[in-house]
Amino acid sequence: MPFRRSEAGPREWIDRSRTLSFTFEGRPCTAHPGDTITSALLASGVSLLGRSFKYHRPRGAVSLANHDVNALFATDADTNVRGDVTPVTDGMVADPVNVRGSLEKDADRHMDRFGRFLPVGFYYKAFHRPRALFPFWERIIRRRAGLGRVDTAWTPRRRAKRYGYCDVLVIGAGPAGLRAALDAADAGFDVLLADENPRIGGSLDYQWLGDAIADTQRDDLVARVLGHPGVTVQTSTVALGSYTDHWIPLAAPEGIIKVRARGVVLATGVLEQPAVFHNNDLPGVMLASGAQRLLHRFGVLPFERAVVQAANGEGLVAAEQMAAAGVTVAAVVAHGPGVTEADARRLTDAGIPVYRGWTVYAAHGSDAVSGVTIAPVDEAGNCDADSGETIHCDGVLMSVGWAPAGHLLYQSGGTFRYDDTLAMPVPADWPSTVVPAGRVNGAFTLGQQLADAGDAVRRLTAALRGEPVPPVVPQRDTVPHGSQWPIVPHPKDRNFVDFDEDLQLKDLEQAAREGFDNIELLKRFSTVGMGPSQGKHANLNAIRILARLRDQGIDATGTTTARPMYYPVRLEDLAGRRMRPERETPMQDWHRERGATFMEAGEWRRPAYYGADAASAIADEVAMVRNGVGLIDVSTLGKLEVFGPDAATLLDGAYTMRKGNIRLGLTRYALMVDDAGIIVDDGVAGRLADDHFYLSATSGHAEATYQTLTRKALEWGLDVHVVNRTGQLGALNVVGPMSRRVLEPLVDMDLSEASLPRLGICDTRVCGHWARLVRVGFVGELGYEIHATPAALTTIWHALLDAGAAHGIRPFGVEAQRVLRLEKGHIIVGQDTDGLTNPFEAAMPWAVHLKKPFFIGRPALAHLKGQEQRRLVRFVLPPDHAGPLPRECHLVIRNGDIAGRVTSIARSPTRGQPIGLAMVDRALADSDEPLTIRADDDVLVRGEMIAETFYDPDGVRQDADNPEATP
Amino acid sequence: MPLRLLKQGLLGGEREPRFFPEQGELRDRYDVVIIGGGGHGLACAHYLAKEHGITNVAVLEQGYLGGGNTGRNTTIIRSNYLTPEGVRFYDASLQLFKGLSEELDINLFYSTRGHYTLAHSDEALRTMRWRAEVNRHHGVDSRVVGPEAVAADVPGIDLECGGNHPVMGALYHAPGAVARHDAVAWGYGRAAASRGVEIHQQTRVTGIRTAGGRVTGVNTDRGAVDCDAVVSMVAGSTPRITAMVDLPTPIEIYPLQACVTEPVKPFLDTIVVSGSLHVYVSQSSRGELVMGAAVDPYSLHSTRSSFEFVEGLADRLIDLLPFTARLRVNRQWAGMSDLTPDFAPIMGTTPLDGFYLDAGWGTWGFKATPISGQTMAATVAAGRNHELIEPFRFDRFADFQLVGEKGAASVGH
Amino acid sequence: MKVIDCPVIGTRPLSEFVYGGEVRRPPMDAAELSAVADHAFNRSGAPTLLREWWFHRPTSRWFVLERDTLSDRIERVVPPEEVAYAIPTL
Repeated sequence: MPFRRSEAGPREWIDRSRTLSFTFEGRPCTAHPGDTITSALLASGVSLLGRSFKYHRPRGAVSLANHDVNALFATDADTNVRGDVTPVTDGMVADPVNVRGSLEKDADRHMDRFGRFLPVGFYYKAFHRPRALFPFWERIIRRRAGLGRVDTAWTPRRRAKRYGYCDVLVIGAGPAGLRAALDAADAGFDVLLADENPRIGGSLDYQWLGDAIADTQRDDLVARVLGHPGVTVQTSTVALGSYTDHWIPLAAPEGIIKVRARGVVLATGVLEQPAVFHNNDLPGVMLASGAQRLLHRFGVLPFERAVVQAANGEGLVAAEQMAAAGVTVAAVVAHGPGVTEADARRLTDAGIPVYRGWTVYAAHGSDAVSGVTIAPVDEAGNCDADSGETIHCDGVLMSVGWAPAGHLLYQSGGTFRYDDTLAMPVPADWPSTVVPAGRVNGAFTLGQQLADAGDAVRRLTAALRGEPVPPVVPQRDTVPHGSQWPIVPHPKDRNFVDFDEDLQLKDLEQAAREGFDNIELLKRFSTVGMGPSQGKHANLNAIRILARLRDQGIDATGTTTARPMYYPVRLEDLAGRRMRPERETPMQDWHRERGATFMEAGEWRRPAYYGADAASAIADEVAMVRNGVGLIDVSTLGKLEVFGPDAATLLDGAYTMRKGNIRLGLTRYALMVDDAGIIVDDGVAGRLADDHFYLSATSGHAEATYQTLTRKALEWGLDVHVVNRTGQLGALNVVGPMSRRVLEPLVDMDLSEASLPRLGICDTRVCGHWARLVRVGFVGELGYEIHATPAALTTIWHALLDAGAAHGIRPFGVEAQRVLRLEKGHIIVGQDTDGLTNPFEAAMPWAVHLKKPFFIGRPALAHLKGQEQRRLVRFVLPPDHAGPLPRECHLVIRNGDIAGRVTSIARSPTRGQPIGLAMVDRALADSDEPLTIRADDDVLVRGEMIAETFYDPDGVRQDADNPEATP
Repeated sequence: MPLRLLKQGLLGGEREPRFFPEQGELRDRYDVVIIGGGGHGLACAHYLAKEHGITNVAVLEQGYLGGGNTGRNTTIIRSNYLTPEGVRFYDASLQLFKGLSEELDINLFYSTRGHYTLAHSDEALRTMRWRAEVNRHHGVDSRVVGPEAVAADVPGIDLECGGNHPVMGALYHAPGAVARHDAVAWGYGRAAASRGVEIHQQTRVTGIRTAGGRVTGVNTDRGAVDCDAVVSMVAGSTPRITAMVDLPTPIEIYPLQACVTEPVKPFLDTIVVSGSLHVYVSQSSRGELVMGAAVDPYSLHSTRSSFEFVEGLADRLIDLLPFTARLRVNRQWAGMSDLTPDFAPIMGTTPLDGFYLDAGWGTWGFKATPISGQTMAATVAAGRNHELIEPFRFDRFADFQLVGEKGAASVGH
Repeated sequence: MKVIDCPVIGTRPLSEFVYGGEVRRPPMDAAELSAVADHAFNRSGAPTLLREWWFHRPTSRWFVLERDTLSDRIERVVPPEEVAYAIPTL
């Protein structure tokens, strides 16, 4: 059993005194608190952790750093769980993803043998001929797609997101991050230090462990950071991306923290890169840093007998650490200038055989490593396989180089260039307030990292204080830290460049050969870097491969874009708490209690009708308004107050009709169009004083109308103030022939035509409260709109219900109102008009006063007058129309083609026949032809256009003194 | 095992032909220069060569093939538009798409999945009916369905949408499809190149030369070339090109963002769009949820991402599909949408002789790729607008003859 | 999230603002149809330094800001008098 617990280490994360139980593939397993799924399984001797995406090859642990995307697990509440970083919890039930049957006996494991028939981009080249067969193939392909399974029974766990503010955000709590945090805090800045790991210390806790100087430094730095009042430490926290203006969301255990920092230090470190050789994906082949994490964090010894492939000093340290922990290091295979002869001698002296100038040519084994073949390699990276030797081992450590974790720097506007010595891209340029520090910036030794962090903070401090930013003091290492070409071809391939996507060297070569030979096309055709780890281990080698194929440099080959998220984030975490603001009128509770059915009206919910049965409720409500008195809550209307010497000028400029000549105490219809003459809003404008108007606007457009008016006031240099009172005042409409009789006892004024004429407006008192009364005629009966404060309006509402009880008063909803206004022929903006309707098309030329020298849309309407190609018409269906009614948006058909659409339709109780409005082609509108509507099931319904208003064309029913209206 | 894969597997990849020939030097003169090597530009090149015998054509691309909006959209193809001219145009595109894998001999994964546009208000439902009626009139299979039909096809959907925006019905568009967007560009590119069209990547047009009111050539960062016709097919870069010839347009650029989750086993076979919730979602053949929303709130020439986009999208998506809360967003990106005031494209001839425009694609350009290429090729060949694009002519704004697509105010993907 | 320096209450997040589009002046008198259409529809679409209207919801104030539409940098707060014009009245 290769994997086993080591002796307890000084910095390990696990608590060996306690044991947790969990099950994996139905088998009971144990773990210590602090173990991840992967470390616990490895410690129990399970090394086969997953199957690959495409070929279902056996895969194991590689990085232990949130990049092991071939070791994903499913639990009862989650899927695609990253085992390398997800802690085991007691009682956890974990299973592998993307297998049929068990991991070991995965029914799809034979896919590996068909690899040659599934070359890169294979799906572009087959299955499409004949066309009819594609759905068959697609079903097969789709069945094999994806990784984990979802459960439609999962429910969102929504947690609040937090906002965080700091002077300096330091990302990464390794040596550079710790130093930067301390220096920034010492400079007086409020510092937030975030690290993805549960403990701070970074590589000091595994790569540098046992180095006496580093250990001392580490203890000092950690203690000072934890004790510094200016530093807040946020562990287990990932910076997801860098967005505009230093907006950096952090995924913390408690949810997302959106941080706005004045300055950012990116001490994000480096990502170890794999070597590309035959079977480099077998369980047992690990990144050296991955093995170190496993050993020092989780106390698991990954191997008994290992071969270490090293192109840098870090690999040698790893070999020494493994040896010290009890692993037999069978050989260190070193190539490139990163391992010197002196280095080699140090290991040889310690009894570790070193093969300088050699590389790993292939690993062997079926489900785990059983040995490797090593072979000499020249400076250009060409491998002499014939001279190879085979070494028995159960593990391979790869230490061949690094890539910067530069994602956030890139997103902040930074650029990178390839450093030939370090064999990795390093930052070339960055904003003065987002600075890299440490290994991400090419500073590798501990001294360099600490000095680089100090320098970064000095520059950042100057930038934040608005002082001249001192030049960079370079701290980049001059010693190689990686191989220029850690890639070995093999006749049997299976030398993987991208573990997520199962891409081998030959796949990238083939893609380039087929013409996808720039980095972006290569990525898109091969999908390299597009898997769950987003190329963190694949992109750099892919660029190397393409660069070599194209015989050009790394920088000339370019790079792909590093997009957020740094690690995948759950939708529920991104969503946060659920907030759905809705607006309520003062009478909302009353409507609910009365059994209203509500309908959406922008941010509002309005009663559609009251009662269980829609049809009968609406009919009754309509009848009561026509014959008695009804009450409707119109609080959702936009309500704007306009004050100032230029109030009339503003309204004359903003609306199509004259407003400046409205007499005191009267109202006028108000129609607003845009610059293209398209209707955007309507309402009523009333004049309360020479310099004071009161405006209504449609419910959904109130805010926009307010914005238009305030902006035009500025634009036109007017002395005027607009106040949006939509939420401050409620409104109701008491309407019907009995309305005057019901209202009169409650109001402190005479309601005769002489006192409050039709279209009149005045401030008065109703039920003792201040109220504004408006005589409106939207539904075609005598009626009074009452605007008042919420408390007053509620009182008035109830008083009207009491006062009207004798007359059978009842509330009515939007549906009845629609029928009533349709009988009166009034349009609803947005229903009878669409996104391109002008007033002429809406048959409202009377509402356009072109005699005014200017109003919004006038220049357009002046040209459009008489040019309309369609027009809104009134129509009726025969009184004996049987069967279902055509519906709104059913088409008007003329000569077999579309000639318009029904915009409104209803059975008119008053006329005893269906009536409606339709927007039809002008030729039809101008004709006396019948109107043919294509209703449901293609039934053609014949109607007739009529010129007159459906109901009370002379408006006598709106006369307050009409004996019929006020019997 | 398809024969094609067997052959490549047994014979090795060395015999596989290149998709695109090695790029050579620019010639001094072309009959037609197409600016923009996205789907539209490459399709136009293909149809110019195939259907009009015009092969002395250069496609000039400032970046790489299909790297603009072709590679950034959410791959939805549909024809359930509101206006007759829209329905006819996009349906013609959809018909071309159906046969395109065979025609171009590349599997575009054109996959008919059905497309639901959800209505959460009676106003939205009215608009759905309008679209359905116009679609049916033109033989396009769209119909208004009830919430139960949506629930049957969308497992796990919460028809109450958390309680605030219950699904009242939907417009179901049976032909709604998805396809591999990149492959469309590659397929057209390969087909055009095989007929002699030159494709030049990393070649930026820096100016357009005119004389006597007509186009005479273009300047590029690789030198000048002469030509008789220039076709601008650059979506989000359109205003930069039209500025070169002082041609004012109504086009404004707004970023449009999208994101994908990690791949999971397929559970969603249809495409779901909700205008009220501003989300659209489908599941790719890799198993990723591909998601998008409305354009950004202000104009910007950038493909930067914003966090508020994924926050808002996630918030609304899990109202609709609560169980997707556990899926993880893997990557987000943005494209630049070239929006017009009437939500319809601007296509065809312009006041400048020899300068043709294919722009104003807003959020719906991908689905128009084949028909845009075909009609623009015909337009360039004939020197006058193809009848299908006449309603989208450049000068419709000057005479207030806008296309009525805006009547359907909802997310238009 | 982008921040905008509100001239009244300081630095605020973009989500508090409503974009009002570029500052344009309409044709006043009996203009040609082409001039009317140009105003109603055409926009300065190419990357440029643009004067734009922004509405700050919490303070209910409109601002004119000069913004580079390529870099997204706001270069200047423009006093409204600079963009104001008189409209003809009866």
